[in-house]
Amino acid sequence: MLKTLKGGIQACVQDGGRRGYRHLGVSQAGVLDPLAMNYANALLHNEDDCAVIEITVGLCQFEFKETTNFAITGSDLGAKLNNKQIISGWRYSAAAGDKLTFSSSKDGLRAYLAVQGGFKLNPVLDSNSTDLQAGFGGLTGNSLKDGDVLDYDSKPPLPSIGAALPLYDKKIRVLAGPHSDLISEEQYKQLFEQHWQVLPQSNRMGIRIDSTLDLCHTQSIPSQAVTPGIVQLPPNGKPIILSNDCQTTGGYPIIAHVIEADLRHLSQLASNQYCSFELVTHQDARKALLEQQQHLAQFKIAINNNDKNAI
Amino acid sequence: MTNNKTYILGERALVIEIAQTTLSQQQQNKLFAMHTWMRQKKVFIDIVPAKTTITGYLMHSQDPDYWLQKMQDAWDNIEPEQYQPRTHKIITQYGGETGPDLVEVANLLELSPSQVIELHSSQAYLVKFLGFLPGFAYLGDLDKQLHLPRLASPRTHVPRGSVAIAQDLTAIYPSESPGGWRLIGQTNMVLFDHHSKTPSIFQPGDIVKFIPSKESIC
Repeated sequence: MLKTLKGGIQACVQDGGRRGYRHLGVSQAGVLDPLAMNYANALLHNEDDCAVIEITVGLCQFEFKETTNFAITGSDLGAKLNNKQIISGWRYSAAAGDKLTFSSSKDGLRAYLAVQGGFKLNPVLDSNSTDLQAGFGGLTGNSLKDGDVLDYDSKPPLPSIGAALPLYDKKIRVLAGPHSDLISEEQYKQLFEQHWQVLPQSNRMGIRIDSTLDLCHTQSIPSQAVTPGIVQLPPNGKPIILSNDCQTTGGYPIIAHVIEADLRHLSQLASNQYCSFELVTHQDARKALLEQQQHLAQFKIAINNNDKNAI
Repeated sequence: MTNNKTYILGERALVIEIAQTTLSQQQQNKLFAMHTWMRQKKVFIDIVPAKTTITGYLMHSQDPDYWLQKMQDAWDNIEPEQYQPRTHKIITQYGGETGPDLVEVANLLELSPSQVIELHSSQAYLVKFLGFLPGFAYLGDLDKQLHLPRLASPRTHVPRGSVAIAQDLTAIYPSESPGGWRLIGQTNMVLFDHHSKTPSIFQPGDIVKFIPSKESIC
C-alpha cells in the first residue's frame, strides 16, 4: 500500500472522470490533465484511464509499503525519492519503506502519480474520481489526508525509463461560443489580444481571469448544460473558464470554448500567472486532438518495445 | 413549428435551444420525446435537458455536423411524448428552525406563513431538469404569488433536505451546500444516494408534491 504521510495542499484520486450522470447533476470531476494521466499509465502498462493521484501545488509525502513501480508526470513539483531528485515523465521502482516527497515549484501547479497495476478502489457511479464538491468517489470522497492508505499489488522492479512529454502552453486555443454576440465585435477581437491574469479564487471548479478590458454586461441566459472548457462571461465582466468540477448547468453567457486538446494546459494555470486565447476552427481542434492521440499511441509502442523482455 | 436553433458547443456537445424563456407543456413534452430519441441513438455519452435546451455529448467527436443535422430533422418531425412520470410525495416540515425564511417570505409577499405553506403545498410540480448539485431538481412552476428573487447574500451552509424557493422555481437541497434560495421548510427524505445504480429519486419529467408535516408551523 501507499501511505499518505502528508496530504499537502491538495492530493486526490482521479481518473478519466464520471460520465453518464450529468443529467442528474453529477459533475464530471477527473484529472485536469488527461494526457499526463495517460502517459503515466503508459509508462506502467496500465489502462489509459487507470486512477492516479493528482497533486496540486505539492508539499505532500508518501511512503511505499511494498515494492512497486511508479511514474510521475505533469509539472516538476520537486519530487524526490528518498531525498534523491526524480524527473517528471519517468518511471521508477520503489522498495518497501521508500519515501516519495513533493516540494513545490513556481512554474508548475500539478503533478500526477501512478503505480503499476493501479490502486485498489471502489468505484462510485462508474468512476474512481474524487468529487470534492459532492464528497464521494476516490478513496474517501475527499482529498488525501495524513495517514490515508491506498492499496496496490506488489510488483517486481522494472528498469527506469522516461521520455519528453508534450509541453504546457499559456496560450489556450478556443472555439467561438454561442453567445459571442453579447459583446461588440471590437471587444471580441480584443479578447484575443489581452493578457489574462489568473485570479486567486480559481480552483478545480473554474479558473477566474481578469484583464484591463471592460466586459461588464447585464445579460443572463436560461440555464443550459455546461462542461469543462466553457468560457463564461458573468455580468462583472471577468471570464470564468469552467474546469472539471464545474456544475452541470449554468446561466452565464458562453463566449468561447477551450479546445479539448488544450484543456490540459488549464491544469497548470496558477493564480497570478497570465494566459492568452487564440481563436481557432473546428478543423484545427480536431487536428490537435488527433495529433495528441497519435503521439500517445507511438509512445505506447516505444514503451512496449523497450519493455519486451522486462515484463 | 417551434422556433428553435441547433448548434455545436465545443467539439462534441450538440444543443437544441428553444428561443423562449419558458416552455409550454407541449414544448416540454417535445423535449422529453427528444430525450428518448437521443437515448435510443446510443451515440451520446450524456444527455442533459435544461430550462429551454437539451444538450447531447457525443461519445466520439468525429461527426458532430452529421448528428446535428439528424437532431434537427428529428426535432422537426417528432411527436410530443406523454412522459409517464413518477409522482413523489415529499413530507415537509415548514417554518421554525427547519424553514428559517418562512416568516420573512410571508412578510415580503404580504401573506401569512400558513398561506405561503398552503400555496406551496397545494400544487404538483414538474421536475424540469437537474443541476447545481447531484440530485438537485429544478421544480416548477411556482405559484406567481410566491415569486421572490434569491437572497442578496447567499448562505454558506444550507442544511441537507432544505425546501427552498427562488423566482419561479422551488427545490430541495439533496446535500449540505452553500445556497442563495429562500428556505421555507425541510424534509428528511434521501434524494440522492451515490451508492445506488439509480442515484437520484428524481428524473426529468417526474412530478413532485409537498405534504406539510403535522409539526409544520402554521
